[in-house]
Amino acid sequence: MKELNIKGTQSTPEISARWDDGVLSMSGDSYPENSFEFFGEVIGWLEEYLQKSEQALHLELRLIYINTSSVKAMMDIFDLCEEAFGRGRAVRVNWYYDPRNERVLDLADEFKEDCSFPFEITEDAQH
Amino acid sequence: MEAIDLFGLRELFNRCRILLCFNGPISRSLIEEIGNALRNYLQADQAHPSSAMDVFSVYIELTQNIRHYSTSRNYDELAGSATVVVARDERGFYVVQAGNLVEQEDGELLLAKVGELARLDKTQLKAAYKEQLRKPRSSDAVSGAGLGLIDVARKSAEPLVANLSPASDGRAFFSLRAVI
Repeated sequence: MKELNIKGTQSTPEISARWDDGVLSMSGDSYPENSFEFFGEVIGWLEEYLQKSEQALHLELRLIYINTSSVKAMMDIFDLCEEAFGRGRAVRVNWYYDPRNERVLDLADEFKEDCSFPFEITEDAQH
Repeated sequence: MEAIDLFGLRELFNRCRILLCFNGPISRSLIEEIGNALRNYLQADQAHPSSAMDVFSVYIELTQNIRHYSTSRNYDELAGSATVVVARDERGFYVVQAGNLVEQEDGELLLAKVGELARLDKTQLKAAYKEQLRKPRSSDAVSGAGLGLIDVARKSAEPLVANLSPASDGRAFFSLRAVI
């Protein structure tokens, strides 16, 4: 299947999904008015990948500010990951953050609390 | 028309340490543009990156709530107008206030909801947030203020303060104040 390449805007993150190596990456701010609509495509890709492929899934996140409706969409994404992990699929998340802004760490930490798959939160070397 | 005392208005803004204010119809792009200006002001004001993000986040949640509400109620542009003020108080805290017209009964529900949230401590607010996060999306739709409102309460250093002032046509002006 397809790759996903969504260019970032001021209020939406840059997203890329690669079927062949199972990497889904998202970076930037996310505060669209209708996050449900915006994340629909990503969730669709993820569902198909988890269904049709047997390869590992790796989420690479560099999200910064995300509004509550994007939080809800991210929770849906992590729920899909959790389900797949429960069925024995290799799933891992790496969330990179700028150490000058601890809010991003708080955000990532709260997601991590509800996940049992490997979820690493790391200071971003880019900063 | 009544003459507008611009100098008096400026003095008021200065006295209240208002960084940014807006009154009128809001669109998605206007929320983003004002948000940009707010981020620049906060940076110029040397706000800590975490506080700047909290202020920005409260601004986004409150204005998007107003947009969702006026869309769900089919308000026209004017009725869907938002009044937004971001100021810095004498202690150095940022105060974000936002208000809009609502149906009287919705306003009363919102007041009660804010009152409930104001009684919760940070741990209880986190539990309420996680509970709301797990609820289906439709449960947010009624007042347009589910998860967003709890998030604002979590970020506020003081309990949220809400007010309801009577307006015309069975509507009321609902306003909310958060301190960061």
